[in-house]
Amino acid sequence: MRLTCAALAAAAPVVLMLSPVCGLAQNAEREVPPDFIVTAAPAYVPLAELRGQERFPEGAQLLLVRAGKAEPLVTGFAASADANVSFDGQTVLFAGKRSAGDPWQIWELAFKDHAVRQVMVTTTDAESPLNLPGGRMVWAQRTPAGFQLQSGEDGQPTPTFLNPTAGPGMLPLAYTRASTFPADVLRDGRILFEAGFPLGKGSTPELYLVYADGSGVESVRCDHGRARWGGTQLASGDVVFTHGTSLARFTSAMAHDVPIEAPRGTYAGAIAETASGAWLVSARTATDARFAIKMWTPGSSGLDAVLARSGEDLVEPVLIAPRTRPNRHPSGLHPWDYANLLALDARVSRDGDVKGKPVSVRLEAQDATGRAIAMGTAPVEQDGSFFVKVPADRPIRFELLDFKGTVLRQEHGWFWARGGEQRICVGCHAGPERASENRVPAVLMRTTVPVDLTGVKVVAAVPGGN
Amino acid sequence: MSRLRTSLGACLTALAAATLGCFPGSEIVHAAAADGTDEVLNYASPVELLFSPDGSRLYVLCQQSDEVRVLNATTYAPMKTIAVGHVPRGFSLSANGSRLFVANSWDDTVSVIDTQLLEVVATWPVRAEPSSVVEDRAGKYLFVADRISDDVAVLNAQTGAEVKRLLAGRGASYMTLAPDGSRLYVTHVYPNPGPHRTPPESEISVIDTARAEVVDRIPLHSIAGVFHVAISNDGRLGAAAELHPKNLVPLAHLEHGGAFADTLTLFGADVGKPVEIPLDELDRYAARPFGVAITPDKSRLYVTSGGSEIVTVIDVARLLRYIHTHRGPYAEDLSASANYVVTRIPTGRDPRGVALTQDGSRLLVANRLDDTVSVIDTRSNRVASTVALAGSKQLWALHFGDEMFAKIPDPSQGRTQCANCHLDERHRQGSKMDLTRPEQVSALRRGEQAFYTSRYSFQGQIGCANCHIDSTFDGLQWDLEPDGFARDIVDNRLLEDVKDTEPYKWNGGNPNLPTECGPRTEKYFWRSENYDDRTLADLTAYINSLPPRPNRWRMPDEAFTPAQERGKAIFERAVDKFGAPIPLANRCSYCHSGPKGTSQKSFDVGTKKPTDDSGMLDTPQLTNIALTAPYLHDGSARTLEEIWTIYNPGDKHGRTNDLIKDELNDLIEYLRTR
Repeated sequence: MRLTCAALAAAAPVVLMLSPVCGLAQNAEREVPPDFIVTAAPAYVPLAELRGQERFPEGAQLLLVRAGKAEPLVTGFAASADANVSFDGQTVLFAGKRSAGDPWQIWELAFKDHAVRQVMVTTTDAESPLNLPGGRMVWAQRTPAGFQLQSGEDGQPTPTFLNPTAGPGMLPLAYTRASTFPADVLRDGRILFEAGFPLGKGSTPELYLVYADGSGVESVRCDHGRARWGGTQLASGDVVFTHGTSLARFTSAMAHDVPIEAPRGTYAGAIAETASGAWLVSARTATDARFAIKMWTPGSSGLDAVLARSGEDLVEPVLIAPRTRPNRHPSGLHPWDYANLLALDARVSRDGDVKGKPVSVRLEAQDATGRAIAMGTAPVEQDGSFFVKVPADRPIRFELLDFKGTVLRQEHGWFWARGGEQRICVGCHAGPERASENRVPAVLMRTTVPVDLTGVKVVAAVPGGN
Repeated sequence: MSRLRTSLGACLTALAAATLGCFPGSEIVHAAAADGTDEVLNYASPVELLFSPDGSRLYVLCQQSDEVRVLNATTYAPMKTIAVGHVPRGFSLSANGSRLFVANSWDDTVSVIDTQLLEVVATWPVRAEPSSVVEDRAGKYLFVADRISDDVAVLNAQTGAEVKRLLAGRGASYMTLAPDGSRLYVTHVYPNPGPHRTPPESEISVIDTARAEVVDRIPLHSIAGVFHVAISNDGRLGAAAELHPKNLVPLAHLEHGGAFADTLTLFGADVGKPVEIPLDELDRYAARPFGVAITPDKSRLYVTSGGSEIVTVIDVARLLRYIHTHRGPYAEDLSASANYVVTRIPTGRDPRGVALTQDGSRLLVANRLDDTVSVIDTRSNRVASTVALAGSKQLWALHFGDEMFAKIPDPSQGRTQCANCHLDERHRQGSKMDLTRPEQVSALRRGEQAFYTSRYSFQGQIGCANCHIDSTFDGLQWDLEPDGFARDIVDNRLLEDVKDTEPYKWNGGNPNLPTECGPRTEKYFWRSENYDDRTLADLTAYINSLPPRPNRWRMPDEAFTPAQERGKAIFERAVDKFGAPIPLANRCSYCHSGPKGTSQKSFDVGTKKPTDDSGMLDTPQLTNIALTAPYLHDGSARTLEEIWTIYNPGDKHGRTNDLIKDELNDLIEYLRTR
């Protein structure tokens, strides 16, 4: 932090401006930013990923900022972006292109010797890799339907992924015809990801969660509204994200997001929390032409400039430090090609009481072209419960029907259930704040056999999912 | 577990007193544990705290060392250690503070301690696992909550003679006297008997202390496991810590409170009709609430959560405003607690009982599983200091063994005696004992810590002790996910004396405890990354170490009553009443063979339900079978008698249809001795 502008310019072959030397670092009380990596891009298009487009259409370069000195993280790459440091702080995953015409691929660099290896080879763009426990990772794989969360199967360490997309050992984690893009891995082991709301249908950026086996997909919170993207979990457990162009957070206690009273500016994407609790953010204030990395201590009134580059946006700051390893998710999926879903009370919803009495529920699934196919109906019991067997690994949604077959309520978007998943919903769009009541659902008093809505001809009744 | 207790306990009492000290700051570093599982499991294990009426003393009830430790309430320096009965669970002071009563749960006694002399001046026999004891203000009655007999014994407070018994909830355990002394609130840890597959029901039994009569039973719907109650000084607000299980919903996942809600029931004039409020949040839980305290000015309410290892701080004014302005029910709303929870304060392991200073400035928390007391500054809501209660007993045991301890002649002189030993050169050289630290953590202790924490489950929601209350059972039937929704409903089984009764699970599917507690638990209970191998080994060692609690139906000399003798004959008979031979597999003693009453084999005893995948069921052990109603694999038999009168029409579950009711009663009398 004591480098002069001249020294900095000499240190890197780019025009680099470390703000402290430009009059902002005179305060001895100011925290020295820890070492970090940041993506520098001549052009940055926020949220392009949710449209299946390029966030860095003119390329990007990862910069290593260590002891105040910024330099390219890797050499020999036409483009590099999306750094994610391992839990032990020894390596970093990133997306890179050796040549400008290559698709983005996943690479890993060891800080110890700066050795770089390609983690896997795919024929389309693979971006935004995140480390998962157990040597796994999750990333965004470009598909005809946009980006999709992709991972390796449990027990398949990352180095074995030298296979084409969805080849052996590859595990898609999202099953929707819209882009899904990883943002962070929470300490409870779930993957935080971005997608449009309503899921599989809408275009408002929203944050969702899914287990590392692709099961349990749901919105983080159901107070959907302005765009929410770029989430990062803090040490406190809160998730900070960009809300429109400002910052907001999810806290464990609240069913809705909470605005963050941060200094005025336009914020972009993920933040990084330092050991002292300060945040490195990508922000653009009224005086900035580009997104720059700034440090902000929550509760303070100003942003401290850390790093800016003329003609480039700086985004996605990532600390180079060990961090708490998330819990590994032990997949409990059964070896089935279908899933069982139990709704405890389909009438319960954040959208208010259903007008009319639901007597049945209709399942729709998307076919390979995205067309909605009616899969059949199942009765809804007096207490609002129903139990169905549904096709796995494809977009599905429910509609509640009255006795005339009129749609009383339809799900906002599409979701999926993994093969072998058995899942319980408290209600239809009940929100994560709604816990289940302790009662035996009426449908399970009547039968333990789910109504088969898989569209597969039933040869024999399958009791209770076995 | 208690192999060395008599000689060791008293000696260690003194040693612990000698080594007890106060730690500045909140961080406790556990010393590295000795490997192996043969160490003496005899920690202090503080469970309850009390201040003397003048605030000068702190009494600490130590469950595993069978002691009351008396500390200076300001400095926390040790003043005296008083040996009491076996596994003390609750204690209280008389109205004037002159006597301290201790409920000794495993030897069925109440110790009466003279607080001037700090000595036990009387030991009164009571019945059936006394778990708490309270004297009325007039000094007329002593009330004793009995966990096994599900009642409150009313004793003459001067003589200890039983006056009468009052029916309480099942597993009656904790009692709180109203500030004016007029009412006694009694909770219970197991749900009351009810119809199969219906929500559990519990109650707070309210006793008029002057009349020694139950005058009210506050219903607690869907609650199974009620612990401490606190009453505000003005008597207008009561709060009970409790578990709200989701045992009727398939246990498919944990998120959104899928297994338990951790709640308080509020009652009293401030709230009107009792209301249940959640302590949990969307992503963070307050697992296993236990101790409750309300500040003298009623501004704050504190709740310990043993599984989450926290104290939750509640703003009472905000809480009351919330429940008066928002329509309930609240228990299923994980965002509700944001309206009244101020903060959550991390504590030691398995925080239990709490005590507030008279001015409300300090809250003390008994951390059972690391032998410490957290001292919380209630203004800053921070742990100001941590008092370590234990010395290095385990090292003593490891280094010297039984023989050495047997040589210590007089426990009452233990301090001198132990101090001498403590300075022994051999001991100093042979150990890494550091008297500034809490005592060393043994493998069994680590296993016990793993059993009681919720940190291994998804978002820290549940631990083993959620369903195995105090390492026993919960009286509930659960719908586990792997078998299919609403299929293979299983009754929760007792853990006592479980060693060498493999296989586990009702279908006998798990060959050993590491399988039962390892991958199965990780995948279908915790739904999150499980313990490491060492912790799993410690945990299973702990579970294997659980002894059976004393059987209350056996005669002191192990002889049988005539009815028990007749029942034993029925149990072992080879010929029925009509002289027909009973096939081997139809004799009680065939499947329920061996010292623990299990052949460890599976049989079809005709109890398969339409929702069961198989009728082949593991033979359960008979240890303390009288305590564990309901019965059968799915809990459908509410009593032992129903096993044969309702669920054994074809004599597949033993030849019993030739028996008359009196003979079945004899059989039951015998089974109760197992």
